[in-house]
Amino acid sequence: MTNIEKNNSLSPGRRIADQQPKERVEEASVQALSEALRSSFVIIKVIMVILVLLFLGSGFFTVRTMEKAIILRFGKPVTEDESALLGPGAHFAFPKPIDEVVKIPLGEVQSVVTQEGWYYTTPAMEVAGNEPPPGKTLNPERDGYLITSDGGIVHIRGTLRYRIAEPGLRYTLDFDSASNHVKNAFDNALVYAALRSTIDITKDTTAFREIATARLNELVEKQKLGIVVEQVAVQVIPPRQLRADFDRVLEADVKRSTTINDARRYENETISKAKAEATAKINAAEAERKALVELVSADVRLFKSLLPEFKKNPQLFKELRYAEILNRIFTNSIERVVLQEREDGKPRELRILINREPEQPPTPEQKTAEHKH
Amino acid sequence: MKRNWLNIVVGVLLLAVFFGVLFVFQVRKGEVAVVTTFGKATRFEGPGAHLKLPWPFQQVYKFDQRIHSLESKFEQVQTADGYNLLVMTYIGWNISDPRSFYITIGNSMTKAEETLESLLRNAYSGVIGRHMLADIIAPDPKMSKFTQIEEEILAKLKSDLLSSTNNYGLDVKFLGIKKLGLPESVTEAVFERMRSERQLLVSKIQSEGERMASEIRSAADTESSKILTEAEAQAMRIRASGELEAAKTYAEFKQEPELANFLLSLNALESFLKGKTVLFLDTQTAPLNLLKSPLRLGSETTVTNFILRDNIPGK
Repeated sequence: MTNIEKNNSLSPGRRIADQQPKERVEEASVQALSEALRSSFVIIKVIMVILVLLFLGSGFFTVRTMEKAIILRFGKPVTEDESALLGPGAHFAFPKPIDEVVKIPLGEVQSVVTQEGWYYTTPAMEVAGNEPPPGKTLNPERDGYLITSDGGIVHIRGTLRYRIAEPGLRYTLDFDSASNHVKNAFDNALVYAALRSTIDITKDTTAFREIATARLNELVEKQKLGIVVEQVAVQVIPPRQLRADFDRVLEADVKRSTTINDARRYENETISKAKAEATAKINAAEAERKALVELVSADVRLFKSLLPEFKKNPQLFKELRYAEILNRIFTNSIERVVLQEREDGKPRELRILINREPEQPPTPEQKTAEHKH
Repeated sequence: MKRNWLNIVVGVLLLAVFFGVLFVFQVRKGEVAVVTTFGKATRFEGPGAHLKLPWPFQQVYKFDQRIHSLESKFEQVQTADGYNLLVMTYIGWNISDPRSFYITIGNSMTKAEETLESLLRNAYSGVIGRHMLADIIAPDPKMSKFTQIEEEILAKLKSDLLSSTNNYGLDVKFLGIKKLGLPESVTEAVFERMRSERQLLVSKIQSEGERMASEIRSAADTESSKILTEAEAQAMRIRASGELEAAKTYAEFKQEPELANFLLSLNALESFLKGKTVLFLDTQTAPLNLLKSPLRLGSETTVTNFILRDNIPGK
């Protein structure tokens, strides 16, 4: 019995002993759970704080150089004054539903290309060189062109480079798409300028560009587009249908200048030749003059030096001079033949053979000349 | 306690967001908002944050009041003198009166554009129909009425917008011609004309070049012959001056013409007998007469030399 009791008494005690750790385990797990929850709450809180910080921090933005920005608070500019424009640097604006930052790229050069006056083509076709061949006519739906004042047709495409003018509010906020308006104004300027030019703009576009730029500036002013025109570039070509004809004109131009250049060369040559000839003539005359004067003065010098001698005894002087000259002649001449008078006093006959053509010795043609006294 | 405070803050914030969404609306710069109460326009609001009652009491419609661009179609119109011309115009327009716009057009930009387009077409075909072709394509730029036509179209469009039975609440800020063209069949004729113009130009250039070249050549010839003639004249003057000088010098001879004659004859004789000469002399010639009979010595030449060298000067 006791044993049983013991057993019995043991069992509840055992039960208790068994029960007690069970409760302790449950309590511990609850504690662990709440611990875990608490720590995860902390994590969530940290994350939330980070999110809030990020949310606020996202309000910081930078404005680059050559750029301005304006803050729209609830859709309305902070002040209507231009001083509200923010310059380069870091700035703060509240996040999205409250503030909106509008940046104005003032310094950036924008460009607009217009193909309204160009025949139908695409950049890809142009690069590949397989543009559609020119038809007999120009289809207004596909091919653009401009009309000149002389009723001609030209293709023109233009590139406009412009900047947004200070302060840039008008350009950025007052148009749905300002670049469309700029393109329209540019198209208008090209049409206008073409109507004030002739077909010659296919050769020189300077005047055309000036007119177009002036017109464009006028429109920018009138429509208050708020831009500064930097550069207008145009490409002008005659209709492709007439390319050969226009080329022939260019060819003729080149030929003309060649012809004229040839003529100019002839002019230069002729005139310089004439000048050389003229100089030669004058020089020759000068030389002749000098020679003559020299000769004469030599004669006169001789004359003067001999005059006193002559005056003393003209006859004797003459004979002396004569003999002197003869002496000189006789010395110079290579051969001298003296003919003695014949004893009988008759004239002596002398035959002289002169070889006319010494080059042909085989058959020398000989002629006789007579010398008689 | 601390936790409660945080909860309250979060709760208030959430509430504020909720009410904000329900009762507040924003109008951006460049927009205008029409607030309707049970479908009737009651208020207009410019840029900023505004209050409203939630649906179904009030509704907000926003209109873009910025300037929009609109291009007309490229369409054929007829000028007063019966030429067909293709014209494309562009305008810059905006909503000037949101109330009228809301009443007549509603909330559709497409409908506004359609309305404008038909009015625009009406305006430009009307105005161009009153002008000659030469007012647009004017050979003399001073006669061009291009800008005037643009102004007339704009004026017509504006007055049409005002006078139309429905006031649309639209305004046109500016207008311009974007493109001009000719009917397709006409372009071929233009090409033909341009081609003949080119041919004319080619022959003009050719003949001009030839003319200029021949002018240059003949001018060069004239110039060179002028240069030569002048040179000739100058040469003659030089020679004449030489002869004059010589004559002046010769005047000295007048002192003793006999001597002068003698000297000149001697000169002439000497220069005539210069060089290789064979002389045949008989004994009647002046110094050789000495060789006559009385004297007969060996070689003739030696005698001659002897006589010439020694006897004559001493005579």
